[in-house]
Amino acid sequence: MTGSEEEAKLGARRLARCLQKLGFKVRFSAFRVVNVLAVCSMPFAVHLVDFTKNNRPIASYEPELHPAATYRIKNLKATVQVFSTGSLTVTGPNVQSVASAVEHIYPLLYECQKPRCK
Amino acid sequence: MSSRVCRTCGGSDIDVDQARGSAVCTGCGSVLEDNIIVSEVQFVEGSGGVSSAVGQFVSADGPVKAPLLGSGFHTGVGKESRAQTLQNGKRQIQQLGSQLQLNQHCLDTAFNFFKLVVSKHLTRGRRTEHVIAACLYLVCRTEGTPHMLLDLSDLLQVNVYILGKTFLLLARELCINAPAIDPCLYIPRFAHMLEFGDKNHEVSMTALRLVQRMKRDWMHTGRRPSGLCGAGKVVTMATATFMWLMTVPPPALLVAARMHKFRRSVKDVIGVVKVCQTTLRKRLTEFEDTPTSQLTIDEFMRVDLEQECDPPSFTAGQHKVKMQQLEQELARKLDEVEGEISCYKEEIETELEKSRPKLRGIYAAYAKEMDPEDEDVLSSPSDPEDKEGDDADLQAAAQRLTQDFLCQVIQEEGGRAPQEVETEGAGLPAQGASLASILGNASLGLQESFHTFNLPEPDQNPDEDPSPSGELDLEGIDDQEIDKYILNEKEVEVKTELWTKQNADYLKEQKEKEERITKEKEQGTYKEKKKKYKKREQIEAATAGEAIEKMLERKKISSKINYDVLRDLNQPAGSPASEPPGGAAAAPRKRLSRRRRKAGDANAELSAGATMMTKRFRRLISSTPRKKKAAPQVETAVVTETASEAVPEAPPAAVPGPAPAEAPPPVETEEEEEAAEEDCVSALRLVGDYGCEEEEVF
Repeated sequence: MTGSEEEAKLGARRLARCLQKLGFKVRFSAFRVVNVLAVCSMPFAVHLVDFTKNNRPIASYEPELHPAATYRIKNLKATVQVFSTGSLTVTGPNVQSVASAVEHIYPLLYECQKPRCK
Repeated sequence: MSSRVCRTCGGSDIDVDQARGSAVCTGCGSVLEDNIIVSEVQFVEGSGGVSSAVGQFVSADGPVKAPLLGSGFHTGVGKESRAQTLQNGKRQIQQLGSQLQLNQHCLDTAFNFFKLVVSKHLTRGRRTEHVIAACLYLVCRTEGTPHMLLDLSDLLQVNVYILGKTFLLLARELCINAPAIDPCLYIPRFAHMLEFGDKNHEVSMTALRLVQRMKRDWMHTGRRPSGLCGAGKVVTMATATFMWLMTVPPPALLVAARMHKFRRSVKDVIGVVKVCQTTLRKRLTEFEDTPTSQLTIDEFMRVDLEQECDPPSFTAGQHKVKMQQLEQELARKLDEVEGEISCYKEEIETELEKSRPKLRGIYAAYAKEMDPEDEDVLSSPSDPEDKEGDDADLQAAAQRLTQDFLCQVIQEEGGRAPQEVETEGAGLPAQGASLASILGNASLGLQESFHTFNLPEPDQNPDEDPSPSGELDLEGIDDQEIDKYILNEKEVEVKTELWTKQNADYLKEQKEKEERITKEKEQGTYKEKKKKYKKREQIEAATAGEAIEKMLERKKISSKINYDVLRDLNQPAGSPASEPPGGAAAAPRKRLSRRRRKAGDANAELSAGATMMTKRFRRLISSTPRKKKAAPQVETAVVTETASEAVPEAPPAAVPGPAPAEAPPPVETEEEEEAAEEDCVSALRLVGDYGCEEEEVF
């Protein structure tokens, strides 16, 4: 997994340094990671309609609006978007919640997978 | 109705006479209630001897003639507007629904959804037409009609995503599971629009088969349903020849149409299906990749291939992964080959070295200088025999090289503390010491000096702010790199020019606005635009009671609210359930004062009580600041309260009234709370006097 909260802070500081060099008065305080976005990919494809049926109402799938099924994990406050190819994008308040979200959703996806044919 | 206890004798046997509308205690005969509301039909004789029932006909939906006085203002005032909202909604649903050709059953269902939505207050903050559209779409989904959200957004000229948002919200709030859409639903509709005439049905069926095929071939999940059908329908200007048809493998209706030798232009179909050309072509090419496309028309109609395919993007992903793996293998192989080559190279060179005549003496130093592989020699002396001889040479070379390197380092670092570095460098033993360590030491030294300007270690908890003053911690930041990011003069000029050109319109607008404002200011007609209200800071209160207090302090909303009573509303509900009737007496008096009515009313008892009450109330007002009491205190006071309550009841004199009121403050508040609690019970008492309807239920 590339990127961590520390690295984010380092990046922010570098940017502040850049501004400092340009002559602006810079203050760097109360740095806080608010949102983390991660992508990962399953080694199998997922049948979204079945997945949504099994996980109503936590999962929602509106093909007319967005090609992915959205699964919101309330206690982790994380959202997972599942695409039919098996790719996922996970957003959460910190890196830990994102990791837990993936672990949480893996078995659910495994049930609704589509076996590889070619 | 709870069984009440007579306040004079304490007996619980109360006789309620519906006809007379009175409640009488059978023990002592005291009248507890007079003029009870009765729900009987009365008849009146009209002119000509016709008797008719007394009353007004009130319809469930229609507007109410007179708002109910005082009973929870919410329902009283809201009824009329609610009916209006529903009426308006119904009208809009009918209008929109007819445009979509929905039958009456669907429209009624939609109206029911709308009624649910309104009752849950979900219409607040949303345009009615969005809500109506969402309700209609909900019906379409549950009934399975071939209507898309896109159609609705077309009719309303609203962004489909906005409608989608509203729709999702309503579905969630109303707990309705909208079943997923099957693209097969749309085929007949689109086919009809493409006007295939007699062969409409056949074309549809073929297209249907193709779509089902595509389903199994995974093209449809994760794609807009219309795209799939559309791909089916795109019929490029097809030549009549059958062979041409075979060479361009087309999906669904495209094939279907061609199979049946229809001509439809791409533009026609795009207009019908609402996807763009690129998407359709993409689908076509994807279908081309599937084995089904290789079948002839007849074969397709007869045979269904068993083999199923993965989704196209999945295969693309797999393809990429394969490519990466191949590249990795290739790189590895290259490394191996390189390794072998370098082995050979080394062996050859050593052999050459051995065979070459060795230089001694003064020439040795020069040989070493010119030799580019000095570092290797330094770090790993090749031949053991030459080691002693080479030692001196090695030292000299090492020293010179370190100095060279250090000079470079100094230049790079911008001349910070060069003296330090030099002494450091010279002091190091040059015996086979690797240059890397030298360099490492030098840079460490530099870093240390650098750090003296800076802040405490970053070893602290990373979440903590290392410096409360907000100073930027420069640990781990490479200044060189940062300097690279900053543009130089020339680049800045170019960029400024580019930016101004790009944003010329916006800048012009801003200038005009400025000019306009200055002009208006001069004229004196400048109107300050409505400022956005600052977000009010949240009230932090431990209990609901505190919250009410704070809110009241901040703003006095209306003159018609008795704030004191509001304050006490939230006093603990721990007061006993069955209140003595003494308490009941206090309540109507309180009510009186709340309604700000004069005490001069029919009921003597009440009027007497009123004077007592006003005095008591005045006392209460004066003791307002002392109102906040802890719960246990209050509860203990209850018992004493009941006793004191009974006392003022008997004598109409005002004196004993205030006397119990002089009791410690908790008692007062308790009395008020009791009174508040008592509202439910004694509300009916007032009914007769004031003709108000009290709907409070026990």
